[in-house]
Amino acid sequence: MTIADRETSLTAPSVTPPGYRRDPAARLRPINWNRVDDEKDLEVWNRLTANFWLPEKVPLSNDIPAWQRMSGEERTLTMRVFTGLTMLDTIQATVGEICQIQDARTEHEEAVYTNIAFMQSVHARSYSSVFSTLTSTPEIDAAYRWAVDNDLLQERGKKVLRHYYGEDPLKRKVSSTLLSSLLLYAGFYLPLHFSVHATLTNTADMIRLILRDKAVHGYYSGYKYQRGLERRSAAEQEEMREFTYALLEELYELELRYSGALYEPLGLMDDVAVFVRYNANKALMNLGYPARFPAEETEVNPEILAALSPGADENHDFFSGSGSSYVIGTAEDTSDEDWDF
Amino acid sequence: MTLTAVSQDRAPAGIGTRRDYHALNAQLNLFAPDGSIQFERDREAAAEYFRQHVIPRTVRFGSLRERIDHLIENDYYEREFIEAYRWEFVEELHRRSEDAGHRFASFLGAFKFFASYALKTFDGQRYLETFTDRAVATALYLGRGDEGLAAALAEEILSGRFQPATPTFLNAGKKQRGELVSCFLLRIEDNLESIGRAVNSALQLSKRGGGVALLLSNLRETGAPIKRIEGQASGVVPVMKILEDSFSYANQLGARQGAGAVYLHAHHPDILRFLDTKRENADEKVRIKTLSLGVVIPDITFELAKRNEPMRLFSPYDVEREYGVPLSDLSVGERYEELVRNPRIRKTEISAREFFKTIAELQFESGYPYVMFEDTVNRANPLRGRVTMSNLCSEILQVGTASTYDAALGYREVGRDVSCNLGSLNIARAMASPDFGATVETAVRGLTSVSEQTEIDAVPSVAAGNRASRAIGLGQMNLHGYLASQRIRYGGEEGVDFTNMYFYAVAYHALRASHRLARERGRAFEGFEDSAYADGSFFAKYTERVWEPATPRVRALFADAGIRLPTRADWARLRDDVVRDGIYNAYLQAVPPTGSISYINHATASIHPIAAKIEIRKEGRLGRVYFPAPHMEQSNLEYFEDAYEVGYERILDTYAAATQHVDQGLSCTLFFRDTATTRDINRAQIYAWRRGIKTLYYIRLRQQALTGTEVEGCVSCAL
Repeated sequence: MTIADRETSLTAPSVTPPGYRRDPAARLRPINWNRVDDEKDLEVWNRLTANFWLPEKVPLSNDIPAWQRMSGEERTLTMRVFTGLTMLDTIQATVGEICQIQDARTEHEEAVYTNIAFMQSVHARSYSSVFSTLTSTPEIDAAYRWAVDNDLLQERGKKVLRHYYGEDPLKRKVSSTLLSSLLLYAGFYLPLHFSVHATLTNTADMIRLILRDKAVHGYYSGYKYQRGLERRSAAEQEEMREFTYALLEELYELELRYSGALYEPLGLMDDVAVFVRYNANKALMNLGYPARFPAEETEVNPEILAALSPGADENHDFFSGSGSSYVIGTAEDTSDEDWDF
Repeated sequence: MTLTAVSQDRAPAGIGTRRDYHALNAQLNLFAPDGSIQFERDREAAAEYFRQHVIPRTVRFGSLRERIDHLIENDYYEREFIEAYRWEFVEELHRRSEDAGHRFASFLGAFKFFASYALKTFDGQRYLETFTDRAVATALYLGRGDEGLAAALAEEILSGRFQPATPTFLNAGKKQRGELVSCFLLRIEDNLESIGRAVNSALQLSKRGGGVALLLSNLRETGAPIKRIEGQASGVVPVMKILEDSFSYANQLGARQGAGAVYLHAHHPDILRFLDTKRENADEKVRIKTLSLGVVIPDITFELAKRNEPMRLFSPYDVEREYGVPLSDLSVGERYEELVRNPRIRKTEISAREFFKTIAELQFESGYPYVMFEDTVNRANPLRGRVTMSNLCSEILQVGTASTYDAALGYREVGRDVSCNLGSLNIARAMASPDFGATVETAVRGLTSVSEQTEIDAVPSVAAGNRASRAIGLGQMNLHGYLASQRIRYGGEEGVDFTNMYFYAVAYHALRASHRLARERGRAFEGFEDSAYADGSFFAKYTERVWEPATPRVRALFADAGIRLPTRADWARLRDDVVRDGIYNAYLQAVPPTGSISYINHATASIHPIAAKIEIRKEGRLGRVYFPAPHMEQSNLEYFEDAYEVGYERILDTYAAATQHVDQGLSCTLFFRDTATTRDINRAQIYAWRRGIKTLYYIRLRQQALTGTEVEGCVSCAL
């Protein structure tokens, strides 16, 4: 028996647990991280685990003085934007990421989605940490009632959910990538704007930690989409392309209406719209498609663009909390040669 | 005076407001279409900031007299420091200072100054000072009526050669102000009175604007007896929690939040619990968010790790009962075998290598703990007594002694705790000084004045320590900027050679200045008689061998600058003078990390390599702003390797060269890419210890964006 034969015999007749749904008779196989088919899975897994964090790490209570300086209008906007973000992260955590497990092309991809789903729950919870630190229960309840009553927010969520529960795995990927790379970002504009202007800086730090994760999530779904698309016929590929641009268009229109209602009163909507277009192009790039909007319509304010950088190279002092720079490192034992003195 | 109308932005700017200078500044972090760095955008941002923000908000006065009277009558300035001078002198000093024509070299420098340092009207809306005004007020305040000193200080500050530390520069002369000193170190002894006092002192000192470090090494460990009943004590972690909350409660008129550090000896039984408080998944009950941690490591720990043996942790409760001294005051290294053999000392065991690995893991996750190499520090300490801890920035290393208290927290015996006031020279500017020795001397006199004008009565042990020692910390900054401007590589042979000779020269002139002060004041610091200065042994390393530049390039640098390097004969003369008259300051040098003041002064921070060509700076008051490395131009970019490219060996070689001439410590941050492992950090720590480094400050990590997720055209992503 050759090595290749042995490999096939190990994997061919067995399925990973999600395969039970299609074939209850098939043998089940445990995940084997010693045999990685797509190096991208391991790379993304490592990045995600290194970036693990919990909201408790961020000294949000240092933002209380800044919060108290804000006007009622500004506070309401902040709470609504964050409740909107919570909604999207809840969708991603409980449906969006989980539903992609059944479509995974490798067993390690399944594992990566479980990780992403968990982090989405962490993100959803982190907004609650902001609320409980800065505001009172009646205010929080009011913001949640607003989220349930807001038609645009509901429509935004349901537009992607329809595809998550649909038949086509690739449409799930497109929806998920657009949610991670496009819809969420209009919400991130506000905290990024804060961080530029020294308001709620610790909250902004937390948002940058979330952004650091989202950048990877959107990228990964997009990458897996492209791998799936390669296997489709030319006609199907064309169909997917049309689907993607059409969904993008719908979500973009919806986003302008939703964000418009929030940001218009503060005169920020023009900037937010540019930011949404910039991120729409970014989502398409993740999916392997050319930009939808021309460069001159996507010139984001330099201060916001510069604040968007997901790298961890900002400098901070001990008065500012630990920032968004630290990662969980790889432990490695020292050996005798290291101690040779 | 004229109150120019403040335009529409009179009210605190709402979150809907964008400011153009922010946009211009942010373009620093984005490449121009031709791929070059947009330096000119930052200068435009600074100009725009003045035009849009500073000028319309600055209160104008008809004359200097009108301005000073207004400030004094309205409780903005103290009266005494102005009236200590002839009015003609004050006017003349202002005129000369105005003529110097100070300009901010970067947006961040200007922004930082006006946001944090300039005197504002009580409603916070208008500026009452320019940089020049602040420099003159500081010089007058520190001069205490001495026209020569005030004029010299004004010139040193305005020329950028000397920059007092934040608390001094922020507060000097103001009527509503915090203290002029920034940094405090307190011992805690193993009793509730001492812990209670420590918490109170932490609150009081935070309120006055300082960073406070506390020593936990002497607290009894978890499970130790209380009133001889076993298993009662809850160890160091609950004390850390109390301190953390105290620091976040007290702040300096809201100007900056209190900040604290705690140090623990590596061989304290709670050492792993102490470190675990910084774990990412630590339970909320034990999690420490904003308190900084430091670990005190003796040589023996390295030797045990080398032999791959377990390290024994010793009960401080038993040590104190058995030997009559607290754990911190006993050299664990010298007594290690004895402690191991003594059956009356309870001990636990951990693997020494695992201990180092745990430290490195925590440094990845949080940047902490700092490290103090206990035996290196104590070998180099010229005073009698032990150095048991460092401070919030790990550059202060002084002897402290314990206090004792009665049950009502009154002092039974006032010990010596540490306060230190800092100020830094800009190396590039100092090298261009018309008289290098005088520049150092003026700085030493300025800092000594801060010590003499400071009396922290809320914490008697700190006041007593300050009175006894008159310790100061003269620091340095802009090493990388200077080297690069001379096209010398940071950490290369010439770079290290320069660092060595520069600090050599500073040490000489600082001691000489302190000797002059001792003669003028007619006394030396308390404890001089027992120090290595008194018997001349401190000077042996300078009189028994020749110190001179090893490279022609560095020899030329000093020659061209007209700086004469002290000879062995100079040192011998200085030794004789010091042995005869003493020196006034128990400690003279300490090299701080210089955050804010290096932006204002337009210097690269401390003696570090730059963290990035375009640094992203996030601070509570400023938001997110971008800072170009000082002296950097399109043509000399290659000399501005960042700290991650420079690597730990060249950084530590540079620090080792400086360390041998610095009586206290130097904040030394190490930089790693996220591809590093804990082993790389451990290797760096071993290398640092072997090179005679005294302390290590933060570990910083840089994670590059995953390919495919970076922001296009972003300088900080690409460089």
